[in-house]
Amino acid sequence: MSIEKSPLRRKLDKLFVPLTVGPTLLWIAAIIVYPTAKLLFSSFQFRNPVTNEMEFVGLRNFRRLIFAREGGQAALGVFNPSFVSITTNTAIYVGFSVSISFLLGLGIALLLDKDLKGRGWFRTAVIVPWILPYVMSGLMWRWMFQSDFGAINGALQRLGIISGNIPFLSDGALAMVALIIADVWVFTPFIIIILLAGLQNVPEQLYDAAEVDGASRWSRFWNVTYPFLKPSILVALTIRIIFDIRALDLVWVMTQGGPGKSTEVWASWLYRTAQVFNEPGSGAALGVVLLAVTFAIVASLYKIFGESPYQA
Amino acid sequence: MSTKKSPLNRLRRSLGLETQNEWPSVARERLLAYGLLAVYVLVIWFPIYYIFITSLKPSSEVLSLPITFLPQDPTAQNYVDIFTNRPFDNYTINSMIVATTTTLICITLGTVTGYSFSRFDFMGNKSLLLSIVGARMIPPIALIVPFFQIMSNPPLVGGFTGSLYDTRLALILTYTFFNLPFAVWIMKNYFDGIPESLDEQARIDGCSRWEAFVKIILPMAKPGIAATAILAFIFSWNEFVFALVLTSSEQAQTLPIAVSLFVADDFVDWAHLAAGGMIAALPGILFGLFFQQYIVSGLTQGAVKE
Repeated sequence: MSIEKSPLRRKLDKLFVPLTVGPTLLWIAAIIVYPTAKLLFSSFQFRNPVTNEMEFVGLRNFRRLIFAREGGQAALGVFNPSFVSITTNTAIYVGFSVSISFLLGLGIALLLDKDLKGRGWFRTAVIVPWILPYVMSGLMWRWMFQSDFGAINGALQRLGIISGNIPFLSDGALAMVALIIADVWVFTPFIIIILLAGLQNVPEQLYDAAEVDGASRWSRFWNVTYPFLKPSILVALTIRIIFDIRALDLVWVMTQGGPGKSTEVWASWLYRTAQVFNEPGSGAALGVVLLAVTFAIVASLYKIFGESPYQA
Repeated sequence: MSTKKSPLNRLRRSLGLETQNEWPSVARERLLAYGLLAVYVLVIWFPIYYIFITSLKPSSEVLSLPITFLPQDPTAQNYVDIFTNRPFDNYTINSMIVATTTTLICITLGTVTGYSFSRFDFMGNKSLLLSIVGARMIPPIALIVPFFQIMSNPPLVGGFTGSLYDTRLALILTYTFFNLPFAVWIMKNYFDGIPESLDEQARIDGCSRWEAFVKIILPMAKPGIAATAILAFIFSWNEFVFALVLTSSEQAQTLPIAVSLFVADDFVDWAHLAAGGMIAALPGILFGLFFQQYIVSGLTQGAVKE
């Protein structure tokens, strides 16, 4: 075998890294850096309704977004009531969805971690809701919660639990509950997968030892499983929270933020502002806020769990 | 974690008491686990079953009381309708082209870039990788406004002046934004698991870097590539929000949009929506049933570094 190389081959070898990494970096810069810069730029602009021109307005979009208006001017210190209520809705939606799906997912993952026959089959059956298009899942749940012909009212009536139909999606509080149920249905598989992967890192002998020691089930989980599971829990929670804050699909097809504004969340508000109301400047400002909040949440989660986000 | 064994436990073990006591409780626990899992699976599959039977009901049965949990008069008419009365063939083709092209771009670039990040220590490689992965953190919806502006009014490149709005190309470009950073990350982690000594051996045998990569390492990375491809395909196939904003006609609209179009203000055509929904859900269900292990490995490699 020859070790000598032609000059061309040597040149190509030298260029290996630039040629393999370069295109991806250029691509990512074009599709991420450029739009992000444009987002920041747009957030300082406002479409003049008369001339239809974009005007530079400084921080006005942010002030209008976060603070209430008094006599045409944003009053610093007094919060915009819609901003407060939509932020509350987002917190309720994300808080309940994430914690319920986390606890449910942890339970199922612990069950699936047992040495059961047909475990692969169960895993397959459990994963499917997450892989379906969110729109189709959202519409499916809307159909399930339909008040006259929906399966949930139908089933509850047949079981004799209720006598009249419950108008799930036309009552504000119930609509939020319905959204959370749909969200839990869609995203619990994700938690299960990530936690199952983490459970594989727990050394089997430690369980045996704990059992021999007569450790209670709770103490076995807390002292043996949890320390090994911590990185996976962190990843699962981070991705879940980030995703829920920005996810529009389910909310949009199930309630469009209604009835009234009872299920309006940041994502649907952003979409409504930017697209329906054709106010790109305000939408961009909300986008910037969303970006900042996302990074703040990620940073604080990693602070709490004391790990670096990426062990690169 | 203490692993010492108490004298009492040692005694119980030597007497063989433990195994005797253990079996019945283990069996009971297993039965309980099966029961709980079975209930969970039945509950989470019920909505899918309900949308499936809705797709088989004639419209009259969908809106009649009491509601039926088994179709009285199953028919495939809804499926025929959506392909004849609505351009579901176009929507399906659009979805296929967009998802497949995005997947090809992401695995091609993701594989070579992931390999370089795994093997070479070049200038700023760590911070570059961090920023690529960090790009995944940017909420896509925050970028909806700039993407709309760019696609309707693209920056001038090489004399191109047309608008990308309502084209499949706009969706393909956009979807690489979600999937490419993810692909780089999964593939980098996958290559990390392949011993570097294999590259070195190939180089000693006279392979160039490219040959070593293509002939030796790439074939070993097939499962990682499959995982990346499946996830990129599913993510692109299912995407809704950007398709909603960037397309407006059947020349570019994808299946998720097509399904949402059955909702017209107050009236929803549930029977046909269910049929369209089943078509849109098909790849997800099939991938889930047949390639579950690839999805799981891709997801866990992308998320948790082992």
